[in-house]
Amino acid sequence: MRLLIVEDEVKTGDYLKQGFTEAGFNPTLCRNGLDGHHLAMTEEFELIILDVMLPDVDGLRIVKALRQANRHTPVLLLSALDTVDDRVRGLELGADDYLVKPFAFNELLARARTLLRRGQLAPQADRLQAADLVLEISKHKASRGGKKLNLTPKEFALLELLLRREGEVLPRSLIASQVWDMNFDSDTNVIDVAVRRLRSKVDDDQALKLIHTVRGMGYKLEVPDADAS
Amino acid sequence: MPTPAEPSQPQPRPLSLATRVMLFVAAAVLLCAGLLATMLQNSIEAHFAEQDAGELQAVAHSVLHTLQDPALQPQQHHASLHQVLTGHHQTYYLVLDATEKPTLSADGADLTPLFRLTRPVSQITPADLISWDQGAHTYRGAILQGPRGLQIAVAMEMEFHLHYLHLLRWTLWLTIAAAVALILLAAWLGVRQGLLPLRQLSSDIRQISTEKLHLRLEPGQVPVELAELVQSFNQMIENLQQGFSRLSEFSADIAHELRTPLSNLITQTQVSLSKDRSLEEYRELLYSNLEEQERLAKMVSDMLWLAKTDHGLIKLQPEAVALEPLCRQLFEFFEFIADERNIRLQYQGPAVSLRADKVMLQRALSNLLSNAIRHADADSTVWIRVNTLAGHLEICIRNCGPVIAPEHLPRLFERFYRADPSRQRHSEGAGLGLAMVQSIVTLHGGEISAVSVPDAAQSPGHGNTDFILRWPLDKRPLNQLS
Repeated sequence: MRLLIVEDEVKTGDYLKQGFTEAGFNPTLCRNGLDGHHLAMTEEFELIILDVMLPDVDGLRIVKALRQANRHTPVLLLSALDTVDDRVRGLELGADDYLVKPFAFNELLARARTLLRRGQLAPQADRLQAADLVLEISKHKASRGGKKLNLTPKEFALLELLLRREGEVLPRSLIASQVWDMNFDSDTNVIDVAVRRLRSKVDDDQALKLIHTVRGMGYKLEVPDADAS
Repeated sequence: MPTPAEPSQPQPRPLSLATRVMLFVAAAVLLCAGLLATMLQNSIEAHFAEQDAGELQAVAHSVLHTLQDPALQPQQHHASLHQVLTGHHQTYYLVLDATEKPTLSADGADLTPLFRLTRPVSQITPADLISWDQGAHTYRGAILQGPRGLQIAVAMEMEFHLHYLHLLRWTLWLTIAAAVALILLAAWLGVRQGLLPLRQLSSDIRQISTEKLHLRLEPGQVPVELAELVQSFNQMIENLQQGFSRLSEFSADIAHELRTPLSNLITQTQVSLSKDRSLEEYRELLYSNLEEQERLAKMVSDMLWLAKTDHGLIKLQPEAVALEPLCRQLFEFFEFIADERNIRLQYQGPAVSLRADKVMLQRALSNLLSNAIRHADADSTVWIRVNTLAGHLEICIRNCGPVIAPEHLPRLFERFYRADPSRQRHSEGAGLGLAMVQSIVTLHGGEISAVSVPDAAQSPGHGNTDFILRWPLDKRPLNQLS
């Protein structure tokens, strides 16, 4: 997946490039607004990650130019500013998402994937499966190895989220926002407790563990490779 | 004395204090002195008229007496009256008999015009006096009705009156002008003198700087009119000092809060790098660093948020937020950690809504609820009670747990304040949660307080702790939902 990163801060740029490369993307890093503007307008990318505060051409101008030229590549803005106005301005100009520095890389990764998925418009599958774990969304049924799992509505929603984004590391803030509609950083360990409970129902007494903690980053649901673990 | 900066809008500067005082004083003095002078002149003029009337009456009677004196021949009348009138200077008379023919008159002035100007009276009063000009002279006179149709006109020259009055008027107005000038000078000096304490005050105020905020002005050492100003000023400095010391305490706290995790990070990293370690150990170090860094980032963003609310940079997006659904949503969020310790979450209250920014209110209640659950006893109930009473909307979050000592209660909402110092660096939060709640509530025009009372029914040292959010109903329009 081709990705354009426009970021003038040297260290941030390097780590973004490395992070996205290791996550399976093919990022192009641009260290100033002028080159970024040129690349965004002339080449095809699947996602553009733009720093708002660039020394020459600022990120908002690049978004504006892109949208005026009728190019609909999803754009994610990064900014050190966080006021409602900045956010609204960025989104009004046609950006698709807005992340405030300092951000966690896995948060950025999760949002980038959400934006890329949005473009695909795949119909939401009603039946989700990972190994012997099966979720039937409309019937609100979950089973593991043919045995029915007794889940509360929130546990079900959490499991659905993990399963839909199988293999992705989901940061706690994203889980709180998607499952509980809590759109702020909470001090609590609610997510940890909820995942622990879910795990006890899904993975306890099972040789094959599906829900994994990624330390310092979040949780993911993954069927381990046979050779790993 | 430096003048204050001119305001940017082209508003004319108000008149100077001295000019105002002097204008008022001048107007008052002129008015008073003018009234006084007019009164004085009138009174003197009336007095002269009275004197003249008396004198003319006496002269007329003398004339009558002379005419009626049987011992005198008509030829002698003139000479006799001449003698009588020598005491009255420049007084003249003219007698007409019943046929209106002049029978007797004094030398020097012809009084016949008087008969055209007035009618005879039986008694001469000041009101009957008529003055007229004749030749170079001004006369004043009246006609007395005598017996047997006799009419006696008497008059006197009044130049000496007029002369005196003229002189008086001049003297009066000159005196008044001098007095006004003197009074204005005095007023100007008075204002200057009166403003001296202000200059003193201004130089005292200039002594006060951020390093010397403890300095106060002495209300006892200024004129009584300025005492209130001095008190208000002292109050302002007091507020500034408090704000300032809060700010510097806050900075010190920030430094402390940041230094500890930073020094942990540095030490840990240095120790780890001091010799070769296994891959697992390096990974462990990075994880540990990551956790510490995330905590730092969270603290910084919370502090930034607080700083922004302090400076009014956060814009609210208010809407009518129904409280019960909001609380139920929060209960769903917290049910897992509540369940772990068998804590029940209960809502009680009427279906009301509050005009608020939904995400902010959610954040505030979430912080309070998370706090309440964290410090609640196992197997207890955490309540959210909503009340509308005495013109207020109250949201009360109650838990049963360890009682908070009274000395901690008012300080709970201070940044980085921890009632229990041993809980320093607890994994959850940096001591900013309640400060944020307070900011949110204040931003919404409400207030927050905490009450903690021991409960005999619970184990010793345990009781009910309430966090109460209050909004005045008149300020926050509420819709009864059902």
